[in-house]
Amino acid sequence: MKKITLLLVSSFLLAMDLLAGGYQVRLQGNKQNGMGLVGTSLRLGSSSVFYNPGALSLMPNQFHFEVGGSAILSHVDFQLAGTNSNWQTDNPMGTPFYFYGAAKLNDWMTLGLGIYTPYGSSAKWDDDWAGKFLIQNISLQAIFFQPTLSVKIGDKLGLGAGFVYAMGDVELNKALNYGADASVNLNGSTNAYGFNLGAYYQASEQLSIGLNYRSNVSMSMEGGTASFIIPQSLSTTIPTANRFSAELPLPANLDFGIAYQVNSRLLLAVELDWVMWGAYESLDFTFEEQGDLLNSVNPREFSDSYIPRIGGEYTVSESFTVRAGMYYDRSPSNEDYFTPETVSLNTFAYTLGFSYRPTSSLSIDASFIQLFGGKAERTYQPDNFGGTYQANTIIPGMGVSFHF
Amino acid sequence: MNIKYFFYLALALGLISCEPEITDFTPDKGEADFTRYVAIGNSLTAGFADGALYQSAQPYSWANILGKQMESVGGQEFVYPEVESEFGVLPGKRKLGYSTSCVGSTSLAPVPDEGVLDPFSRHVGYPVHNLGVPGAKLVHLLANGYGNPALVPQGLASPYFARFAATPEISVLEQAISMTPTFFSVWIGSNDVLGYAVAGGDGDAITPSADFETYYQVLLQSLVATGAKGVVANIPDIETAAFFNTIPYNPIVLGEEQAVIVDQLNSGYAAYNAAMEQFGLPYRIEFSLGANAMVIADPAMGALGLPAELQIRQIAENERVLLTLPQDSLQCANWGTMKPIPPQFILTESELNSIAVATANYNATIQQAAEDFGLAFVDVNKLMNEVAESGLRVDGILFTQSFVTGNTFSLDGIHLTAQANAVLANYFIDAINQTYGANISQVAVSSYPGIAFP
Repeated sequence: MKKITLLLVSSFLLAMDLLAGGYQVRLQGNKQNGMGLVGTSLRLGSSSVFYNPGALSLMPNQFHFEVGGSAILSHVDFQLAGTNSNWQTDNPMGTPFYFYGAAKLNDWMTLGLGIYTPYGSSAKWDDDWAGKFLIQNISLQAIFFQPTLSVKIGDKLGLGAGFVYAMGDVELNKALNYGADASVNLNGSTNAYGFNLGAYYQASEQLSIGLNYRSNVSMSMEGGTASFIIPQSLSTTIPTANRFSAELPLPANLDFGIAYQVNSRLLLAVELDWVMWGAYESLDFTFEEQGDLLNSVNPREFSDSYIPRIGGEYTVSESFTVRAGMYYDRSPSNEDYFTPETVSLNTFAYTLGFSYRPTSSLSIDASFIQLFGGKAERTYQPDNFGGTYQANTIIPGMGVSFHF
Repeated sequence: MNIKYFFYLALALGLISCEPEITDFTPDKGEADFTRYVAIGNSLTAGFADGALYQSAQPYSWANILGKQMESVGGQEFVYPEVESEFGVLPGKRKLGYSTSCVGSTSLAPVPDEGVLDPFSRHVGYPVHNLGVPGAKLVHLLANGYGNPALVPQGLASPYFARFAATPEISVLEQAISMTPTFFSVWIGSNDVLGYAVAGGDGDAITPSADFETYYQVLLQSLVATGAKGVVANIPDIETAAFFNTIPYNPIVLGEEQAVIVDQLNSGYAAYNAAMEQFGLPYRIEFSLGANAMVIADPAMGALGLPAELQIRQIAENERVLLTLPQDSLQCANWGTMKPIPPQFILTESELNSIAVATANYNATIQQAAEDFGLAFVDVNKLMNEVAESGLRVDGILFTQSFVTGNTFSLDGIHLTAQANAVLANYFIDAINQTYGANISQVAVSSYPGIAFP
């Protein structure tokens, strides 16, 4: 283990100037968190509801439950182009969580349920910062409910499908150039549907292969609340209470992974995730009243990203397992359409984790992730706002899994 | 493997680089010396806005912003002659308020903002680095006695220069040199055409281009001779300013229910049209349903041998109406329909041509001088044309030519808002950095105030 950590330390030092992708949060299982968020080719219990519903039917136990969460502690520093003026975000702690349960109905069929938070983002800039007319603060949350059915075909192949019901809400504030306190608050919630399909193949005792597709979920908001704080003299032009609609895609993912049990103690896995961010072309707001004046089209121009991951676990003893991993997440955002609402930089991350099993059926799983958002000069051209961004994030997490 | 050890390692790694800090910007004075920066110019340099030079707007002049930014590259504190009044030195300050028109409708508009002034007779009593004098033409900077308070009442000296002139006799240029500047800015020339333009081409003259060139040479030679480096800026076409673009040429809109008025106007001008036909001249005054061009007085038509009562015509689309045209007179006193608009509110095509020719000549002189003397050069004209034609976005603010809502012009339609001054200061900084290999930090434009809405 010491060797592995040392290796990791040196590699991330070399990779310092590399460096999270959009507003996706893949922290859906603390075991996977510790292994570079690799999960498609693994059978780690009920968290397969998210990572690969196909693997669920190959679960060795009758019942499996998992619950846990993470704390995202992130900081972004920004230096306005051409200046020595810096601003930092004061982001609230992000708290993604998950709950999974799975039960074998019979030898070949397993039923599962997942409640998890695969998308979310928050950024809190100073109210009077240089980019206040673009964004002051934003918080985006989505909770997915996923009933899942997984079937085993023969001894080696598992196929699974889940239906996703998503609830999401978004709230953002931005300043308006009508005086010191003028601003608008947009707040809306919605629900949407999607699906999660997975295939898992146990090629041999050592080798497993997984393929998972999670569909795009389009969060289409109607009748969101728009509250304007504006000077009295403008209230006849801009109604202080208004309604808006907008649409935000939660992009599809196609993940492919291979895992290899090197020996009874060591498991290694690699994975490639294709995140279809290309769906996020533009964030457009349409207002019920005074649309001619207020409607806005805001190009985002994201492109798909491909995230390579590597991770492993080492069983130290019957009660103790350690994990490590890393990944590189190339930013899906466009250099010229880079907004401070989603500071998405090329990100390198290393992960660490362990499980402690006080009994054979109970596992306490902890993970720690550190992300380095590579320093980069970016501009949002439609507003001619640019500068240098750098981000660091640490994510400690804790979970419990139980089977019988 | 010990759990504790594992956690300590993770925490240590996490804490080391938990909060990133970007320290890419290194201030640098390059080949220039910003120890004592002196700014020479007019109201735009002084910090005039909303029709007055007043306390809370003054710090936002581009020159005062620039002076402050220079402090991080070795500049001394940049001092400007502070006006101790929110209403200015002379009356004229405007604010956004509600005004009721002659027909009884109330609207949001610039209204006079009156209060206790800081009289020009109160000398500030300290040396200043911002020598911007509102109203100054180029030649005034060279004129001895331009700051003599005794000569102000006769209009022979500037009340604004009198506030901070070191002696009654000293010229602005001499005072600049007496400050032993290491760096200077010269942005002058606007009033050489603007004085004429804001008077509608009446009551002031355009400075002849040859004179401008001569004075400009004297000014720059004297400054460069001190060994100081500097930056100069050209002047914007007056037509880029809101002052000349807010009131359209055809504000007289007659609807179906006003068809009778159309007929009355046309029959009223039948004699005029017949007379013009007799003279063999193309002028005709015709009204129709819809938007109509205003009738204006044009004394220049006297040159065609027309009697005074025929020296009127409808304004052409390419001519300009000044912001000072009283709206009530249009609405309730038949200006532009039965009564011609007086010439001081109009810039005719030929007046605009004279202004454009002079502006182009001045700018050629300024740019050539910048090259000859090796000075940094700011193309303000290009910037303001971009604002006027396509609008300019900076940090999420859209700067356009529009009056009040365009973010560019303050409530007088000519001088800039604090935000626009910040944009301009950044252009100056950029030009200085490029010419002298310096690295002066620009400013965050969104941190500066825009128009204050009640």
